[in-house]
Amino acid sequence: MYNGMVPAKQRYQSRIELLQGTLDLLILQTLQWGPRHGYGISRAIRANSNQLFQVETGSLYPALHRLERQKWIAAEWKTSEHQQRVRVYRLTVQGRKQLLTQRSRWQRFSDAVAGVLNAAGSETAG
Amino acid sequence: MKVPLWRPRQKQELDQEIRSHLEESIHERIERGASREQAEAAARREFGNVIAVTETTRDMWGWAWLDRLAQDLRYGLRMLSKHPAFTAVAVLTLALGIGANSAIFSVINAALLRPLPVAAPERLVALNNAGQQRGFPTFSYPNYRDLRDQNRTLADLIAYRFAPVSLSHAGVNQRVWGTLVSGNYFAALGVRPQLGRLIGTADDLMPDSHPVAVLSYNSWHKRFGGRRDLIGRDLIVNGRGYQVIGVAPDGFSGTETIAAPEIWFPIAMQSAIEIGADWLEQRDREPLLLQGRLKSGVTPAAAQADLNAIARRLAREFPDANQGLEIELSKAGLVGKSLRGAAVGFAALLMAVVGLVLLLACTNLANLLLARATERRQEIAVRMALGASRGRLMRQLVTESLLLAAAAGAVGLAPVLWPVQLRVQLRPPIDFPIALEVRSDPRVLLFAALLTIVTGLLFGLLPAWRATQAQVAPVLKGGEWFAGRRPSWTRGSVIVLQVALSLVLLIAGGLMLRALRQAQTLDLGFVPEHAVEVTFDLRLQGYDEARGRALQQQLVERVRELPIVQAAGLADLVPVDLHFAHLPVFIAGAAPQRSANAPVALTSRISPGYLQAMGTALLAGSDFSDHDVETSVLVAIVNQTFAERFWPGENPIGKRFSLGDPNEPKLHVVGIAQDGKYSGLGEDPKPFVYRSLWQSYSGSTSVVVRGRSGAQSMIAAVRRELRRLDPQMPIAAATPLGDRLKLALLPARIAATLLGAFALLGLVLAAVGIYGLISYAVSRRTQELGVRMALGARKRDVLRLVIGQGMRPALLGILLGWPAAFALTRLMKSVLYGVSATDPLTYIAVAALLTAVALLACYLPARRATQVDPITALRYE
Repeated sequence: MYNGMVPAKQRYQSRIELLQGTLDLLILQTLQWGPRHGYGISRAIRANSNQLFQVETGSLYPALHRLERQKWIAAEWKTSEHQQRVRVYRLTVQGRKQLLTQRSRWQRFSDAVAGVLNAAGSETAG
Repeated sequence: MKVPLWRPRQKQELDQEIRSHLEESIHERIERGASREQAEAAARREFGNVIAVTETTRDMWGWAWLDRLAQDLRYGLRMLSKHPAFTAVAVLTLALGIGANSAIFSVINAALLRPLPVAAPERLVALNNAGQQRGFPTFSYPNYRDLRDQNRTLADLIAYRFAPVSLSHAGVNQRVWGTLVSGNYFAALGVRPQLGRLIGTADDLMPDSHPVAVLSYNSWHKRFGGRRDLIGRDLIVNGRGYQVIGVAPDGFSGTETIAAPEIWFPIAMQSAIEIGADWLEQRDREPLLLQGRLKSGVTPAAAQADLNAIARRLAREFPDANQGLEIELSKAGLVGKSLRGAAVGFAALLMAVVGLVLLLACTNLANLLLARATERRQEIAVRMALGASRGRLMRQLVTESLLLAAAAGAVGLAPVLWPVQLRVQLRPPIDFPIALEVRSDPRVLLFAALLTIVTGLLFGLLPAWRATQAQVAPVLKGGEWFAGRRPSWTRGSVIVLQVALSLVLLIAGGLMLRALRQAQTLDLGFVPEHAVEVTFDLRLQGYDEARGRALQQQLVERVRELPIVQAAGLADLVPVDLHFAHLPVFIAGAAPQRSANAPVALTSRISPGYLQAMGTALLAGSDFSDHDVETSVLVAIVNQTFAERFWPGENPIGKRFSLGDPNEPKLHVVGIAQDGKYSGLGEDPKPFVYRSLWQSYSGSTSVVVRGRSGAQSMIAAVRRELRRLDPQMPIAAATPLGDRLKLALLPARIAATLLGAFALLGLVLAAVGIYGLISYAVSRRTQELGVRMALGARKRDVLRLVIGQGMRPALLGILLGWPAAFALTRLMKSVLYGVSATDPLTYIAVAALLTAVALLACYLPARRATQVDPITALRYE
């Protein structure tokens, strides 16, 4: 069965499973540009990852409520452009600090992974 | 901290948040040109399982477990109230089991577990005279003194002895129980007075010098109205004044758990409290119970080694009295080791029985729940399809069982919280003041709570596990999930277990009943019917030997004259009694032996006519006569066992021996009496010696009267004659002779009643279980049976098929139950009089009964199976 151009199964596999803990970082990063509701966050993550990251609601909402409990984000009820009562999340001061730490940790991690991958590549080439 | 148990607002907000997510998503799709329906469907598909998302998100709230628990509880309550019949049956079955267990446990707690009301009870140990062959673990006063002064491991060593006294109060003499205690008693126990002061070392230095008394709190209230001005006044005890120096604190009644004496006296007053007794300097008289307090850091084993070193020295120094003296330490509280062993055995038996009943109740409930699990498979499959995890569902089902167990625990515990009733029913027919305060303390409540939880898990886990094994799709399609045509192994094994359990209970109960019947035909060596005994103590009234003997002789003569009396006689002790003296026997002409090694015999002192009054047959020789007096030759009547043991194959009449000490004057055997039971109904034949009361005085005697009249009128007549001789005479006890047997049979009676009731319950539970299983199996096999009958199977074949299915696990249960019963009934030996614990008749009869009941339980559903109409059965699906 086809859905547009890509077979359903293949489309699913082309998405990348988020690493454990990465979702928190992505949510905090997304909120850095301003308050958003849950749907908005998931849409932003999808758009900014070139449709690669499809955030499951079953992961998104638990993550939001967990971050709220840790006081890294705060929530309030607002009215959306569609006249919908929505719960909007914003970054707290603590959350901003947390974002910086997590970003630098992620940076070190990805540098390290890149280093290993490049080293392996040059060895086979050499 | 606020516990947000329900969190209605937070839940609403989460629902609203998810709704708005969907709405935003739909709006966006519509803006991109989709129709409303398309947009809604796509948004929902993208969102996924709303319930699962809600649940996992709620987990993040921190109190999720509590929240879910509340949800499970509410759901559980709803399910239980929707099936009131099931709930009632389940709760009642379990309540019976939990209640019985808690009740037995609270008695055991009171008798065995609760610490004594003294400072640091864990360091208190009882000393047992292990070398002593005579029943109670007692010591002589000189040995006590040496042990106390020479040991290096005990902070204190105390001595005490229970003694009945005559208390004169408001012009009436009453017999009450007192305790003689060593001067260090209260200080060593760390007991502080409620009022005044307690007995101290200074009160116990010189014999007969300090007539002082301490009252128990209960006695002070009951007898003296709690008057504070009692302190300093004199109490008249055994006709002598004792100054009341203080009152012991509430709840303290000495260091034996079940004994509740009223007054404490210094040991130095012993000759006045136990009139005529004189054992303070006698090493071969062993009247005292000892308890020691371990020094801190000293183990019981170290203390025992230390004490035995002293004991060996004492044995070398005083070989006549002490040879073989050996001390064994035990937990304090039940007269050393002597009662503890029996009490622990009996307690273990009772706990095992009620434990089995509870296990039976659990298996039945598990069975019911398994059946219900099949009914609920639709509901469970739906919930699984909606995204509930198996763990979650199991938790839900187990919560339901725990709810049932909790309700049952509450119902079952109610009678235990009614201690008054229990205390009354437990009052045994005995002269000694027994106070077993059965009350529910935290330990009992904890036990009941643990039992409830374990029970809930026990009968809940397996059904929950089975129920959630459902495969979603076939059930929802309406097909058979539970497709097996036979009942599952789980339900079959439940039947096996049930039958085995009730077999064990029934065998135990059957043995008890046979033992009780046996006890009624037991050869007691006397005839309890148509006789009474009246006990009085002349010493308490200040009689000396000459006056006392005169009164005793007059009394017997007068009572014999009464027209309703056939025979009458006196004895210092009447069987069945634990207090018969055990004395070493020295046969004239045999090799000399030390008294510590000599064989012992029980002995009592009787007047002429006593054996006749008891209905004890004289096999040879003659009864004592009134012409046997102190100055004439000393006479004895021995029982058959005595004669056979010491003079096998000879004529014992005319033989001579001495009792107690080889240098005592020799007794001449004049008669042989039949054997009897003396200290307990379960005992083996023991050698026994009767001495003449006219030659060996005792101030405390019972007059036994046999006559044609009713017990009460005979008692009244004896009372009248006694009062005529001494108007002030306190009567210790006046009962039909058979009453003593009630006490001796009490453990057996309790065990038989409990076992009988529980065994019956077990039988009913097993029958219901088998019936339920087979009915269920038949209903599952309706179609198959219909096919078989359509193909020509006869009713007999169907009957055999169905009955065989139920009887297989039942017979397996019987086979497994036999060895289990064999193992358990060993615990009962001490209460089985004259019946072997492996009595084959009981084993076979009980198995036959169970087989019959199982057959009936199978037959009813099987007959229904034969009435299946093949056409209906085939059209069914």
